[in-house]
Amino acid sequence: MAQPAGLLFSKDHEWVKVDGDVATVGITDYAQTSLGDIVYVELPRIGAALQQFGNIGVVESVKAVSDLFTPIGGEVLETNGAIDADPSLVNRAPFDEGWLYKVKLADHGETGNLMSGDAYDALIAESA
Amino acid sequence: MENGVLRRTALYELHRALGGRIVPFGGFEMPVHYTSGILTEHDAVRKRAGLFDLSHMAQFWLEGDDVAAWADGLTVNHVATMKPFQARYNIFTNPHGGAHDDVIFYRLPDRWLLIVNASNAAKMWVHLQTHVHGDVRLTNRHGEDALIAIQGPQSVAMLAPFVGGDIAAMKYYTCLETTIGGVRGVIGRTGYTGEDGFELFVPGNAADAVWDALLHANRGAGLIPCGLGARDVLRLEAGMPLYGHEMDETITPLQAGLAWAVKLAKPEFTGKAALAAQAAAGDFPRIVGLRLDGRVPARAGYRVLRDGVVAGEIRSGSIAPSLGNASIATALVDAASATVGTRLGVEVRGTEHPASVVNLPFYKKG
Repeated sequence: MAQPAGLLFSKDHEWVKVDGDVATVGITDYAQTSLGDIVYVELPRIGAALQQFGNIGVVESVKAVSDLFTPIGGEVLETNGAIDADPSLVNRAPFDEGWLYKVKLADHGETGNLMSGDAYDALIAESA
Repeated sequence: MENGVLRRTALYELHRALGGRIVPFGGFEMPVHYTSGILTEHDAVRKRAGLFDLSHMAQFWLEGDDVAAWADGLTVNHVATMKPFQARYNIFTNPHGGAHDDVIFYRLPDRWLLIVNASNAAKMWVHLQTHVHGDVRLTNRHGEDALIAIQGPQSVAMLAPFVGGDIAAMKYYTCLETTIGGVRGVIGRTGYTGEDGFELFVPGNAADAVWDALLHANRGAGLIPCGLGARDVLRLEAGMPLYGHEMDETITPLQAGLAWAVKLAKPEFTGKAALAAQAAAGDFPRIVGLRLDGRVPARAGYRVLRDGVVAGEIRSGSIAPSLGNASIATALVDAASATVGTRLGVEVRGTEHPASVVNLPFYKKG
């Protein structure tokens, strides 16, 4: 399955969309399918400084708690308030309305540690 | 889990074909949910009906003139007073009053069916064999016979065309021996979801046909296969205990809030003295219902605090779709923290989240 264009991916199944100095982060469709019905998402506070690949929150399904690792470092500018009210947005629209948070990039070079959509497709094909 | 080798129920291939997410449970490879997901499956059971494979639970048959008197000596609830075609919840206890297993007895005219938790099947089979005396004969059909449950408000209409008896006339906690999809089996009007429903005990080699027939005939009316994940949320909302969570070898039936099933007036049973002493003392830690103010799920093992001091721990927790996705839990807390309305905290990843002690069950069918 082809991934949406213009995104970069981590091996922890998060996506990043870079727009200037701002990166939007979410989890992939593969991740939300694997997790099942998402009922709670715990995100970093606005203003928090995130280290790339650091453990920065959790995503909880009915049955399980999963750690959330940030695919990119930087200062948290905004979190998606809509998913507090309705966490199932992450299941329904993981690449759109179900985005998680935005950061002000600390280092553009960190995008070099991420994968293209094609490379990510190959990764999930391997683990299937 | 015997020798760590996972077993499969007669319906395993059907679960795979239906997109079941298979996990180890009680020594079997069981579906935790299907492609539709836990919340959709939960919704089907509350509004229409769901179909469950519970064949991992053990079916023991008991025969002989002394079964009732013998079983009365090993359990907290009455056995001998059961009439033919009655079903009754019961608990086998250890000498300290702890729960060895919680079970259901189904009485037929000439024999008894005993349903035991999958996780306790091996332990219980040894326990029964060790204590057998008089005219009591035991047969272990665990993994041989199948158990299919249909649960939800539409269960009668969906099941009736497939069975020989008048299931609409059955009362809650009764059973029938009849034909189910043309094969001989036992039907109990019992379940673990807080809804109307039936449990079907059929030979393993007939399970596929019964499952397929029910599902195909009722798909249009909204019957869907449901896994153990939905079942756990449904039973928690309905305030039904799960062995290993709300009770175990160290948590007694009295602590689990099951005093209604503990008949201290019975002449003698294993653990009676310990339970009588506990009842008299009255100050024991006990299971309560908690409702958190926020949405964070409270998971088994999380600490429960009262005024910053540990008062107990979470034993089961989930979000409750029947209560607007509120976060609900059971907790084992000290007696002083158990009154309805008491404000407590649940420690989640180092942060305390406020909660209130509430009445059980969380959900009652309309």
